[in-house]
Amino acid sequence: MPGVTLESVTKRFPGGAVAVDDLSLEIADGEFMILVGSSGCGKTTALRMIAGLERPTAGAIQIGDRVVNEVSARDRDIAMVFQNYALYPHMTVARNLAYPLRQRRVPRSEVARRVGEVAEMLGLEQLMRRRPGQLSGGQRQRVAMGRALVREPEVFLLDEPLSNLDAKLRVQMRAALKRLHGRLGVTTVYVTHDQVEAMTLGDRIAVMSDGRLQQLGAPQDVYDRPDNVFVAGFIGSPPMNLLRGRVRSGQATAGDLVVPASGVPDQDVYVGVRPESLRPAVNGMPSLAFEVAVVEPLGDEVIVHGTVGAELFEVAPEESEAALLSGNGERAEAVACLAPRDRPQEGSVIRLGVEPGEVHLFDAATGLAIR
Amino acid sequence: MSVQPAIAAPERFPPLPDAEPSRRRSRLPFSPWHLFLAPLAAIMLVPFIWMVIVSLETRQQATSFPPQLIPSSLHFSNYSAAWNAVPFGRFFINSLLYSLATVAGNLLFCSLAGYAFARIRFFGRDVLFVVLLATLMVPFQVILIPTFLIVKQIGLVDSIGGLIMPNLCSAFGIFMLRQFFRTLPIELEEAARIDGTSRLGILFKIVLPLSLPALATLGIIQFMWSWNDFLWPLIIIDSQAHDTLQLGLSQFQGSHFTQWNLLMAATVMSQIPMLLVFLFAQRWFIRSVAFTGIK
Amino acid sequence: MTASGIAVSPRPSLLKRLAASDHLAGWAFVAPAVILIAVFALIPIGWSLLLSLQSTNLIAPAHYVGLANYRALTKDPAFRSAIGHTLVYTVLFVPISVAGALGIAVALNRRIRGIRFYRVAVFVPLVTSTVATGIIFLWLLDPTFGLVNYVLHLLGLPQQQFLQDPNQALYCIVVMTVWSWLGFDVIIYLAALQGIPEDLLEASEMDGASRWATFRSIVLPLLGPATLFIVVWSTINALQLFDEIYVTTRGGPLGSTTVIVYYLYQQAFQFFNGGYGAAIAYVLFLGILIVTLLQLWIGRRRVYYSS
Repeated sequence: MPGVTLESVTKRFPGGAVAVDDLSLEIADGEFMILVGSSGCGKTTALRMIAGLERPTAGAIQIGDRVVNEVSARDRDIAMVFQNYALYPHMTVARNLAYPLRQRRVPRSEVARRVGEVAEMLGLEQLMRRRPGQLSGGQRQRVAMGRALVREPEVFLLDEPLSNLDAKLRVQMRAALKRLHGRLGVTTVYVTHDQVEAMTLGDRIAVMSDGRLQQLGAPQDVYDRPDNVFVAGFIGSPPMNLLRGRVRSGQATAGDLVVPASGVPDQDVYVGVRPESLRPAVNGMPSLAFEVAVVEPLGDEVIVHGTVGAELFEVAPEESEAALLSGNGERAEAVACLAPRDRPQEGSVIRLGVEPGEVHLFDAATGLAIR
Repeated sequence: MSVQPAIAAPERFPPLPDAEPSRRRSRLPFSPWHLFLAPLAAIMLVPFIWMVIVSLETRQQATSFPPQLIPSSLHFSNYSAAWNAVPFGRFFINSLLYSLATVAGNLLFCSLAGYAFARIRFFGRDVLFVVLLATLMVPFQVILIPTFLIVKQIGLVDSIGGLIMPNLCSAFGIFMLRQFFRTLPIELEEAARIDGTSRLGILFKIVLPLSLPALATLGIIQFMWSWNDFLWPLIIIDSQAHDTLQLGLSQFQGSHFTQWNLLMAATVMSQIPMLLVFLFAQRWFIRSVAFTGIK
Repeated sequence: MTASGIAVSPRPSLLKRLAASDHLAGWAFVAPAVILIAVFALIPIGWSLLLSLQSTNLIAPAHYVGLANYRALTKDPAFRSAIGHTLVYTVLFVPISVAGALGIAVALNRRIRGIRFYRVAVFVPLVTSTVATGIIFLWLLDPTFGLVNYVLHLLGLPQQQFLQDPNQALYCIVVMTVWSWLGFDVIIYLAALQGIPEDLLEASEMDGASRWATFRSIVLPLLGPATLFIVVWSTINALQLFDEIYVTTRGGPLGSTTVIVYYLYQQAFQFFNGGYGAAIAYVLFLGILIVTLLQLWIGRRRVYYSS
């Protein structure tokens, strides 16, 4: 079972738009790799290049040890689940499932066997005679998966397969996908804009923005140690608080939050603190004054929106992803996740603290993490 | 593991040759489809090109064998000769009157009726609609003779009025506009009703301004149909003074059928208006035609 | 009535008034259209039926002859050959139009350079009138100096009589009308082709289908509704062929291009057999109805509709 390698792959469209910019990625054999990012970041284009539906302008794509740039999509032994499923509307579910096998001239008996197997695996037996138009969203999604599975391909590609499902179904399908991958062990590349899907499904995730790879790693690693402000703000929900601050003499200050930063030269920084890292201040802990504006009780936790003090300095060039920062003047908007018992009053000012180890520092000019 | 700064790096790629959006790079400098499309375009256009060429030749040249590809001299006088041989100006005006009147009639009456069918609940509405629609199923030749007799009774034989009257309102137009009006959000009309606007006011001040695409489509279809109509003018018009352009052209053909150069000049002149309209309003034309298919 | 005795309009009457005005308004709005269509469509339809049961020269008053016209039609060899000509024409015109339009639409559905020029070129014949088309083709197909014979001459092939040859004239009309009306079908097919979602074609490619297999298994079936429409529409129009015949051959040579509607025209407006003409019209109507219903019935069972 081969892996997939992208080597300095670039896709430039006529008209100048660069969708994918020098992307290098190695997907191990049998791995579940997730490409995640907001719309327009290039993840779908990258997927389509692996599929063979788009041709890279530069760079090489390898499946196993075979360079497939010149190989057409139909010869790549790859199956893809499209975002809108792309089921053939005029064919029954059975014919949809059989179609890829019929096209490759698989003998009838084998076709019947595989189709039956996949139908059973995905619970489609009752739907075989129906047409896609008569199926619900979740059923269609399963048929789309079945059509990909039936080919027993070397690589699976999935383009936001869950985005058209309602929330409850999405949760169910996530689990089903994970089970399926565990059982079949096929190399899978999965594209999504939903960071929850990325965190829960992937062996490794590749965070993309503007056509470029921002960070690659296991979900927990990316969460714990984001390499730049973009990744910091993208992974984690609610997103990480990024406060403008500066480092002076080995200390990082953001408003009234003071955190030790030994060995870090003086510079303007973003101080990143995840909402879940904020808790009622205890002596000795770096803390800040939090002016509570809105309290959202969720049952198991309470999300508190408010403002904190912040330093003033010129924000980096427009491209900076630290546009995640909001607020102007000396106060910045911030979010905290507290336990229900610590629920504050709206309008009150509370003191919240954070473990120094859970504070992230980012260079204000480049956005890179300071380690 | 490559880590990139969040801020965009300066453009460091040299300009690449524009890659084709399609996935196959053809070995030829042009797409192989041109090999099929070019001859096709030629087949479609050559007759017209030839028509223009012949219209500029002398009579001998026009009927010579082998045909002259490039006329030795351009005889624009053919055009004035044809124009004067029969009253083309008159024909043109007649056609214009016919077309414009039927377009105006259709737009007005079909709007009124279409709106009523779409939005007003009145006694017998649905039955009436089906009956009107049923008339579309009957081919024109069935009603040709009686329509002629009716126009004769009214005393409008051999007149532009007689030409126009039966075509002032078509069930097709009513159907088309009704379907379209139903797609408009009804809240706008309801708000106007509450404000006390009359139904007529709603139609003219709110619904019609929002329906310009549909009205344009209907107008174009009707215009083209009337402009190129032949059978009905043939039946109803007797005297040359009332001929439409197509009818006049046909009679010109009858009287001058050996003078191909003049005949072609006449044909060119009669087709230019429609061709010009088409070239300027291509998109509308294509939409109109596509629409008849979608209905 | 309130207690003080002052009359107040009770609710129901107001509603009734509004409702009444709706009825009035509705009928007022449709009145012009209804009158026009009643006078110029509905009445003629009925009158035509009456006419077919009469004998009239369209000037003197008519008198009833019962089904004599229809009986005469069944024995009329000219009518039978008119039907034959019409059917031959239709059977050639429709398939050629459909297949040709499909091929052309596929070719025009590309994003290559100059595609707009090609599209316009295909639609130009559609815009010109039937009279102009007839005149142009009369010249092109002229046995003596026509362009087509010239090309044949260059290719070393024998010269043809085309529209003056009783054995060739009808086929020439087929070619002429196909050329003239292709654009219409192409537009319909183009619109339908563009309505096929791109990702269906991509999915088919990923499923291993060759381009031809994709066309056959995915595109063609999804074009079903468009094909059905074009077939029905073309058939109806083919059965009603008239203009082009009048302009070019006047039903000749030797009556070889006399189609049903042309025969009707001759009978009603040249020989002044009004009732006979009306009967022909009704028979034609019946024929069109039957053929259309047949086509729709077949189509219903085999065409997939995405609803």
